[in-house]
Amino acid sequence: MKGHHSSLRRTISGYLYLVPALVLAYLFSYRPFLKTIINSVSLVNFSGKIVEFVGLDNFRHLFADRNFQVSLVNTFRFALLFIPLDLLFCMFCALLVYRKRRFNGFNETLFIMPMAVAMSSAALVFKALFNPTIGVVNHLFSLSIRWFDDPRWAMLTIVLLGVWMAMGLDFLLLLGALRSVPKQLVEAAQIEGAGPVSTFLRVQLPLISPTILFIVTTRLRDSMLLGGPVMVMTAGGPFRSTQTLVYQMYVEGFVAGNYSKGSAISVVVFALTFLLVLLAFRFERRGVFYQ
Amino acid sequence: MYTLRNRIGMAILVIMSCTAVLFAAGSKEPSDTTVGNTPVRVSFWHPNSGLLGEAMTALVSEFNSTIGAEKGIRVEEVYQGKAADVATKLRASLQANRKTDLPDLAQLDATGVMDVRDSELMIPMQRLVEEDPGFSLDQLQEGTVLSMTYRGVMIGMPFNASTILLYYNKDAFREAGLDPEKPPRTLAELASYAALLAKRSPDGQSVLRYGFAGVPTTYELVSWIGQQNGVSYLTDKLNGHEGNPTRVLFDTDGTMARFLDEWRNVYASGGLGNMTSDVRQQFIAGKTAMFVISTSSLATVIDSVAGRFELGVGYLPQVDETSTGGVNIGGGAIFAFDNDNDPGKSASWEFLKFLMSPESQLFWHQKTGYFPVSKATYDLPAFHAHIARNPLFKVAIDQLHDSDPRIQSVWWPNSYQAYYEIQNGILEMLEKHVPTEETVRNLAAVLNRFMDEYNRMNKE
Amino acid sequence: MRRTMGPFDILKALVATMLGLIVIFPIYYAFSASFFTLSEFSASPPKLFPSSFSLHNYVRAWNDSLLPRFMANSLLVSFFGSVLRMVVAILAAFAVALLRFKGRNLLFFVILGTMMLPADALIIENYLTVSRMGLVDSYLGIMSVYLLAPVQLFMLRQSFKTIPQTYREVAAMDGCSDFRFLVSVVLPISGSIVLTLWLHSFVTIWNTYLWPLLVTNKPLMRTVQVGITMLGYADSLDYGPIFAAITLLLLPSVAIFLVLRKRIVAGIAAGTIVG
Repeated sequence: MKGHHSSLRRTISGYLYLVPALVLAYLFSYRPFLKTIINSVSLVNFSGKIVEFVGLDNFRHLFADRNFQVSLVNTFRFALLFIPLDLLFCMFCALLVYRKRRFNGFNETLFIMPMAVAMSSAALVFKALFNPTIGVVNHLFSLSIRWFDDPRWAMLTIVLLGVWMAMGLDFLLLLGALRSVPKQLVEAAQIEGAGPVSTFLRVQLPLISPTILFIVTTRLRDSMLLGGPVMVMTAGGPFRSTQTLVYQMYVEGFVAGNYSKGSAISVVVFALTFLLVLLAFRFERRGVFYQ
Repeated sequence: MYTLRNRIGMAILVIMSCTAVLFAAGSKEPSDTTVGNTPVRVSFWHPNSGLLGEAMTALVSEFNSTIGAEKGIRVEEVYQGKAADVATKLRASLQANRKTDLPDLAQLDATGVMDVRDSELMIPMQRLVEEDPGFSLDQLQEGTVLSMTYRGVMIGMPFNASTILLYYNKDAFREAGLDPEKPPRTLAELASYAALLAKRSPDGQSVLRYGFAGVPTTYELVSWIGQQNGVSYLTDKLNGHEGNPTRVLFDTDGTMARFLDEWRNVYASGGLGNMTSDVRQQFIAGKTAMFVISTSSLATVIDSVAGRFELGVGYLPQVDETSTGGVNIGGGAIFAFDNDNDPGKSASWEFLKFLMSPESQLFWHQKTGYFPVSKATYDLPAFHAHIARNPLFKVAIDQLHDSDPRIQSVWWPNSYQAYYEIQNGILEMLEKHVPTEETVRNLAAVLNRFMDEYNRMNKE
Repeated sequence: MRRTMGPFDILKALVATMLGLIVIFPIYYAFSASFFTLSEFSASPPKLFPSSFSLHNYVRAWNDSLLPRFMANSLLVSFFGSVLRMVVAILAAFAVALLRFKGRNLLFFVILGTMMLPADALIIENYLTVSRMGLVDSYLGIMSVYLLAPVQLFMLRQSFKTIPQTYREVAAMDGCSDFRFLVSVVLPISGSIVLTLWLHSFVTIWNTYLWPLLVTNKPLMRTVQVGITMLGYADSLDYGPIFAAITLLLLPSVAIFLVLRKRIVAGIAAGTIVG
């Protein structure tokens, strides 16, 4: 009986370690999420009170809303631009400096510096850099693009800001992964006469693929949740070209006081992130190489 | 692990000492030196920044050092971001139903009115006015009182009233061979002026200067629709001043179509830039010769142009010769809230009375461009001296007096979204050549849907 | 360790330095522009270097606003917030990685599941919760939603799992309690990743914008990220004080990064999911 008793004690003490995390998870995630789901199937008035249950009506209205379709498209447009750009750039930088050589420590520091900058500061700086009147970007590259007035270009400023803010961490993750590839494998490939490109494709890339997958997954999730930079830089404009799901959710829920619609959008965001991450994990099981 | 511990220790030490230093530096908040009874604190949220913010700070400190010191009242002004941010914050507090998080007073614009209009925690301003026998609504400009009247009651104090105004670059007018003292009177004239004022690069690829920049939206339309057929409204219930609006009127009464046809001609002139951001900066930088914005930007624009070119202002061009109603009174008002802090709001009322005094209104007008709401201001010798020195301010005031006070700003749900819907609709019409009728129909459909959605959830 | 550099290495280093300089250009520009005068901002063509290193923008930003107080608020919230966040994550990660008890995997996934619930999408409900607790305009209110970090919990678990079970058995034989084992064995071994995650938490909380904006009404309680967007100069072309404030903001984080750069790199490398 003693064994049973001590296992119970072990269980209780184990739970104790988890209590703070569980309480926080309930208070600031599950509970508000449940309330959001309830709101999304109800009519909620301006002061936040539920008027009546309407089933999937809100979703029917939502998907018929052209505005929402725009948000959906924009969110994916952001992800499709942001993730490849981020990965390619960080990978290129990491390949440049992953071997310990003189100056590489310095260069590494340059690449991770954006990590030290907060979103709101960065957005303010980018806004000034891309300002059509006083901005240096147009001047340096002899462009005359009205970045924040032109629906074709505004999203790019947010993508660039996104890459800039994400690159510190993603670069470091790739750098760490590249450095943990056993030297012997790389050297063996080189002895066999493989060039840098084929060494990368045949030896390094497969070995760091879990890291890449990790980056893609987290950045996909981040993309689905893009809101803050839009708020500071463009407020969804011009002409809705940068209006994302979370930004629209914020506008509907917080600015316009349409809680039913705001909650319905947030449920869609939830489902999207969930599906995408699930997809990534399935992909991981099948295609990614483990050491 | 010693190095690790040392470093963590060092980091903690650095952070803590920084914090201490910063707190010391940042603790220069107004210290209370009043001996004896502590003053009643009146918290006041507002969206004034830049020159407007400086003017507001000056008014608040003057009050605190004079009437406030005498009566034991201390106003604490809080800049809460843009007007929409003030409204968002207010609604959040109203919803959580926590009186302690509410300010005593908050300055809101038309988009924020929907947030407080029906709240039980909002104290209708007219009640405070009626409790004070020494103050009457007759002291205020008629149009400003109407602009804040909901169902017959003035709900907010129209402290910062303004109208839309045409700003133009006189140097550019001269360059284009136009008379710099004659701004365009109608949209037809605006079109022909814009064509003359626009300047392209020699290769014709890029536009160096637009004649006019901007895409009209709610703010412009309340005047451009409102001034037609005597007085017109965008929606029923007098633009939402008589209750929740249920549908737009501009489709059936033809006002929108008339405006859009004229606006299409402005675009066809080739001098119109469809800009939606930083238009004011573009104007100051000389990249557009004309634009429209609130009179409240007048002081800031004068200050930023700083002699780079000669600035002119004029009446908002009329839609056509018959649209003579003028412009609507916009801007904002100060609302009072029941937050247990200042019961009966007597301390807050003292501050409001100070803000509405002829002298404060003159100061506010000179520093910003909001026009004086108090009728007595117009009789002050200092006002006449100011107007004589600054003829641009006079134009703004004359336009106000030439307008029909019944033209109202619109209080409708989803005003933020409506703003973009209108802008997008007009842009699509211009760039994708959508016929006028279809544009009107689309706009009416989406705006009606906003109102339906709101009324479905908020039954009166 | 370092070999002599071949021409290819030099080329790579050069390209890397050039890219690196482009990457830090926005930081450089903020620094440089913090010395601009009003006319230098609207100069055409735009300026890249200030004509003098006058501190007038700094003086204005420092004196005309509550900037020092904003920074102090941010430091406090970020420091205590990140410490609490690490404590919560370490306790939970320790339990799921090294203790054996029923239901731990299920609970782990319950906590990890919050990763799927976008905090930004829950902000309205969270505001109501915090407000009902009376935590609007309080440091705890600002920190509250950041105290649970499932990703960090996950990374810590991965790291803790690499600690051989034999350590624990030996410790248990010596009569060492779970908690003492955590403090005196697990934490020192994982010092590097703990420090990295703590730093990352610190920076994350330091950088947040929307939530602190919503839960603070009093200027004295604002964090610096919210504060700088409200400096009130944004309306005109007068960006000087804003850039001065941004530069002041960058100093502490850049300092932390420079001092602890090696550890960050090592820590992130250790936390990667390779292998």
